[in-house]
Amino acid sequence: MHIQDGYLSTSVCLATGAVSLGAVGYSLHRMKDLLGERTVPLTGMMGSLIFAGQMVNFPIGLPVSGHLMGGVLAAAILGPWAGCVAVTLVLVAQWALFSDGGLLALGANVLHMAVLGSIGGYAVMTTVRKLLGGRFRGAVAGSVIAAWLAVLAASAVFCLEFRLSYAASNFDFGNIFTLMVTLHALIGVGEAIITGFVVSVIYQQRPDLIDMAQPVDSTVASSASRFAAAGLVCALAVAAFAAPFASALPDGLDSVAEQFRIAASAESTSGLFTNYDQIPIAGWQKLSVSVAGIGGSLAVFAAAVLIGRAIPMNAPVIATEATGE
Amino acid sequence: MSDFWDRYGRSVSICHRLPPVLKLALAVSIIVTGVAIPVRYWPAYGVLGCLVFAGHSIAGIPLGYLIKRLLIFLPFVSSMAISLPLSQGLDRGWDLMLQIMFRGCLAFLVSLWLVNVMPFEQLLVTLRKLKVPSVVVAILAFMYRYVFVVWDELDKMRTARKARSFSGGSLWFRWRTLSQMIGMLLIRSLNRAERIHGAMCSRGWDGEVRWLDDQD
Repeated sequence: MHIQDGYLSTSVCLATGAVSLGAVGYSLHRMKDLLGERTVPLTGMMGSLIFAGQMVNFPIGLPVSGHLMGGVLAAAILGPWAGCVAVTLVLVAQWALFSDGGLLALGANVLHMAVLGSIGGYAVMTTVRKLLGGRFRGAVAGSVIAAWLAVLAASAVFCLEFRLSYAASNFDFGNIFTLMVTLHALIGVGEAIITGFVVSVIYQQRPDLIDMAQPVDSTVASSASRFAAAGLVCALAVAAFAAPFASALPDGLDSVAEQFRIAASAESTSGLFTNYDQIPIAGWQKLSVSVAGIGGSLAVFAAAVLIGRAIPMNAPVIATEATGE
Repeated sequence: MSDFWDRYGRSVSICHRLPPVLKLALAVSIIVTGVAIPVRYWPAYGVLGCLVFAGHSIAGIPLGYLIKRLLIFLPFVSSMAISLPLSQGLDRGWDLMLQIMFRGCLAFLVSLWLVNVMPFEQLLVTLRKLKVPSVVVAILAFMYRYVFVVWDELDKMRTARKARSFSGGSLWFRWRTLSQMIGMLLIRSLNRAERIHGAMCSRGWDGEVRWLDDQD
């Protein structure tokens, strides 16, 4: 998931860096107001936890294995601002210790995982939770859906950055978009399942942690608001995947790239052919993105329901007494 | 674990003795140059590559270690780069893929050099000098201190899981077990954070970070 140096052009790296700096600066400001003197120990411990949690390998039945990314998880426990700072510092430490993820690309990585993951994820999570009625299932379903959408949004934003980086080359960016988003719809299901399980375990043991981060009234939701929640999630999924059908996004990208081409005044003729090349496989693209979208949405819904059922609220509480200091 | 991460951070060489800000500036400038140079000026890449290898050999980082790290890194960079020709029907995109892979490896080697000549503590001091907010540096320092503790705890839980042979079962079951492990680890870590916070408060912690070098 980490972007290495060399994928994106320097100007795109600087622009994403500026956006991330602003977002993280604002988060720092908000976080200190909320957490007070608990800021350093809580955020630092969450950072070390995500750092270690990312090293737990989840088998997927293939030689490769997946791992947790943790942006939504951090936001579920710490709230959006401290979550964003914690994930940002995890990325900094991963670069400084492993040289994992690039130095120039740090801004882009922070934008994808911390800003989109924690702040964006938190927005989705609390909205779903509010509509589903607050308690256990709302918390789990909210985090599952938020985790999936966060991964998807990160991949879409990456495609945009990639396109801006190589605006002048004659590439079929629609295909890259298709490949990336389809792939990340699958990766996102993994992230969603892990996040959902972790949040459900925490909710059984320490519901106060999650209720503190996501204040919500305890009134039981009416069936009307549940219906509205289902509608909202459908709308989100459609919004994520209607783009190729309406081809609004690729067109927008095309026009941006076109402007860059004119500015560069290079390869002005080769740009024309890319659009013709796109036509024969355009149908395949749209079909595959929407199949991935529908399949992914269904898988995430199934995960949300199954995780909610798999561990009932009245499960025996496991002793959580930690070892001595 | 620290031994694997920045194994050569504490050895002695000219590179290690350079002022930390200079090391950081050197690494950033080489990465920026590497990303900015167009591919048609390929001799410049050769020069940069030689520079990077010279830096590594002066710092006394053995070639075997570099190759080992590169072998771990290559699958990541190539899996992303291969998506370029793959998405273009295998007839275009190979040049861009090579370009990305080459630049990626160059930047990775530079980062690796920096990691190995600048221990994490030194990075924290440098960040302080560069006027990064002290709360950020304090959180990073806290993270670095406790990541080993959390890792140890995770290792104990893994051993316990292995000893009870919870390795079989369906994929769904294994995912559930592993996620529950992370969840328990999270709760234990937060409990620990609360205890540490209590200990810090009893020693006069008021949320304000004070550094020893502030006094002079």
